[in-house]
Amino acid sequence: MSYRVLSHTADTGIEATGDSLPSLVAELATGMFSLVATIEPSAAVRWTKVRVESATPEDLVVDTLSELVYLSEIEDLVFCAFRVDSSPGGLAITVEAGGVPVAAVEPSGPPIKAVTYHRLVVEEREDGWYGRVYFDV
Amino acid sequence: MITPAKVEAVEYRRISDVVWELAPFGAMTVPGLIFASQTLMDLVLLEHATTQVANVAQLPGIRRASFAMPDIHWGYGFPIGGVAATDVDADGVVSPGGVGFDICCGVRLLASNFTEADFNSHRERVMRNLDQSIPRGLGKGAIAPGDLVPGVLARGAAAALEAGYGWEEDLERCEEHGTSAGADPKTISDHAIARGRGQLGSLGSGNHFLEVQVVDEVHDSNVAQAFGLAEGMLVVMLHCGSRGLGHQTCTDQLRAMGPAMSSYGITVPDRQLACVPVRSPEGDEYLRAMAASANFAWANRHVLAHAARQAFAESFGMSPEKTGMRLVYDVAHNLAKIETHDVDGRATELCVHRKGATRAFGPGHLDLPEDLRATGQPVLVPGSMGTSSWVLRGVVDNPAFFSAAHGAGRVMSRKQAKRRQPGSQVRDQLEAEGISVRPGSIRLLSEEAPYAYKDVDEVVDVCARGHLAAKVARLRPVGVVKG
Repeated sequence: MSYRVLSHTADTGIEATGDSLPSLVAELATGMFSLVATIEPSAAVRWTKVRVESATPEDLVVDTLSELVYLSEIEDLVFCAFRVDSSPGGLAITVEAGGVPVAAVEPSGPPIKAVTYHRLVVEEREDGWYGRVYFDV
Repeated sequence: MITPAKVEAVEYRRISDVVWELAPFGAMTVPGLIFASQTLMDLVLLEHATTQVANVAQLPGIRRASFAMPDIHWGYGFPIGGVAATDVDADGVVSPGGVGFDICCGVRLLASNFTEADFNSHRERVMRNLDQSIPRGLGKGAIAPGDLVPGVLARGAAAALEAGYGWEEDLERCEEHGTSAGADPKTISDHAIARGRGQLGSLGSGNHFLEVQVVDEVHDSNVAQAFGLAEGMLVVMLHCGSRGLGHQTCTDQLRAMGPAMSSYGITVPDRQLACVPVRSPEGDEYLRAMAASANFAWANRHVLAHAARQAFAESFGMSPEKTGMRLVYDVAHNLAKIETHDVDGRATELCVHRKGATRAFGPGHLDLPEDLRATGQPVLVPGSMGTSSWVLRGVVDNPAFFSAAHGAGRVMSRKQAKRRQPGSQVRDQLEAEGISVRPGSIRLLSEEAPYAYKDVDEVVDVCARGHLAAKVARLRPVGVVKG
């Protein structure tokens, strides 16, 4: 696990590292849904796939996590497993997200309302990618 | 080009009993004014929320001050409890972050013909019926069908009324009569509509709730009477907003506003403060989308109130009309509104952002229903779970563009709150105090425990001493349905 929960008076954040931008996105997504419920990746029973393309690495992180919040709500799933790959085109990735139906989940935190730009950091460092994202919960 | 610098350290001084000033420096064009007692100010300083007040003071076109209400706490971009008014005719901006993701989140208060004794004799039945009829927590669940959403986006609570929810008189006691002007459903994305379809008539989670309360202490009996309240009366308070539809709309608008902002030569110290001139295509689109989302929120609370009336009627074996559950008022605390205020002796059109702050129009304001024009607007200030809530009224000399606090304000993170006590213990304590609790999730109850919030009585005291609003009545909880 290479993410960490960041405390915030009203809301909550996640910081994470990854070998690549796609792996950073996967870690941040895992961290984001860990705020909602603790579920082993192997428990995923339904999968959904989405492609996201953005102008900057920061936008790619926020856009992808926002899309996962949307899909989670629409499909009534709490995601727990992610396969993220670079996608042809500009700055683009394809995410396969696996989850568990909400009805089968005991929540450990409130649902994520939205992904914010507040104190957002997404950057490539000497040892890989680092990201920090705060959520409205 | 406006290039604000991020303010890391802020100097402040007390300028009156409950007002603290952050003098302008760097790119701040107005001071920050924080309404707080010494105790509340210590909490503000502890979490550096002053930095966010100072950051907001850099927004283009901001007038008078970047205000912070007594329940201020650290937010994202704007502080929660922040009020910022920008001059529309002087390139003043509108910022989605100054409204927040939960567009038009607000509070609705219903009166009743019941007393605490009535509630006690039917307590289990009332709580069971409310528990079963109020959708909340993680996952789908709504009272109204999804096909009502398009009409609701255009016409708000009026569309829900036409579909058979609520009473006609409700609209009169709702801010904007439950329909925000300028709403344009075409600005709402398919994503947002898809989220809203399964959520019309649902509480959500976090700090959202439905509470059964008793009017415990009346501070102004004439005004209480005008509001339809009396000591000993059982009342119902609802706190929720525009759900996933509003969250998605804010997400969509923020995404579009970032790139647009640079074309107007605006940069901001925190990207969550992204903004564009009110008088710009992007600003206009945001306000139309915000109004449509607000319409969803008005309708959402309208439908939930309908369900609460039904639950009480069924519990007491009478018609909803016989319950006397009239709407006292419904007021938002997450909106940006175009209002005219006096600025330096000149009537000025302003875009007033209230992010976790309640509109508080004083007596005589023409936007108030006729029967409330003499008293001023009801200002609803919910406390934390298990503590008092308050009904205040707007006053004529409010210095913060007629705004007041919106709640107790968090003081502890969710993680800290959970570490302190398990949810089951919080529930047991509340039950021991005579407060029935029906949580969406028992594990999440401790995140909203009373100790996670500031003292609402102190917040309200500061409102009164700072001329933000005047006390009318204190409400004591006896039943909580928690999101």
